[in-house]
Amino acid sequence: MTWVRTKLELERMEPGERLAVRCAPGEALENVPRSAREAGHDVAMDGHTLRIVRR
Amino acid sequence: MSTSRRELFAALRGGARAEEPDAAALERYSRQLVLPEWSERAQRALGAASVLVVGAGALGSPVAAYLAGAGVGRLGIVDGDAVELSNLHRQFLHFTPDVGAPKAESAAAKLRFLNPDVHVEVYPATLEEGNAAALVEGQDLVVDCTDSFAARYAVNAACCAAGVTLVEGGVVGWSGLVMGIRPGQSACYRCAFPQPPQDAPSCAEAGVLGPAAGVVGSLQALEAIKLVAGVGEPLLGAFLQIDLASHAVVRVAVSRRADCRDCGGA
Repeated sequence: MTWVRTKLELERMEPGERLAVRCAPGEALENVPRSAREAGHDVAMDGHTLRIVRR
Repeated sequence: MSTSRRELFAALRGGARAEEPDAAALERYSRQLVLPEWSERAQRALGAASVLVVGAGALGSPVAAYLAGAGVGRLGIVDGDAVELSNLHRQFLHFTPDVGAPKAESAAAKLRFLNPDVHVEVYPATLEEGNAAALVEGQDLVVDCTDSFAARYAVNAACCAAGVTLVEGGVVGWSGLVMGIRPGQSACYRCAFPQPPQDAPSCAEAGVLGPAAGVVGSLQALEAIKLVAGVGEPLLGAFLQIDLASHAVVRVAVSRRADCRDCGGA
């Protein structure tokens, strides 16, 4: 569900805006960065926090 | 949570009960929300839509189930028949204890279990020329799941007159047809088939396999979702002819006819 929430939030943002997503260890931490990257956004991990720049 | 976010989730639920957690709508629709082609806007469009499913049988079962599951806000079910034992191999919204019950009611009961957030309206009537306009009025989209050519042409004429988008479908034996219609923009059913066939057999005569109806109904549901949500490439200006015995699918382009008595002036 973390990626679903993240995706909806990104849809509401403008290109270039930044979003920080705290990912729970496990599935979210494994999948959300990959999904964000596959969607074309710039991503960087900072511990359990995913920092996304909307494409 | 911001007001706009609350409005979003209320819209996703199609005007659901306030006591439900917002997370429920998010979870219910999560597998389509996560699609790259899908969006909050697409989900909102479904939740705001009124769709009429004409026929709650072999095609209507998958159509209504998928539309309810996807979160169409208002779903009308038109059927004047009662459930028969011979229906059950292909009409999966009806169960053995439903035999004898009105089909529209039987289908609506299952759809309300499937998604309580969808407002299901029951029309226990057979669509015909005399009532087609009233049934179609105010709908955003109609899905024709009837099994008679008289009803099919009546739905087409009513949708053309009202400017309501229509998804046509039919199945018999191992074969089926699906066609999307935007009156005034794309060819209508009568443009493709100006006259009903003289000797087309019914499912009772020719037989039909349940999964064949399931495939055709699923394609109709898919087209309905695409047309309402504005995602993907809808099947307009063409129909699919499907032979499920050989897995042959042919896309046949159809042009509007200026002299079409249903949509010629639309």
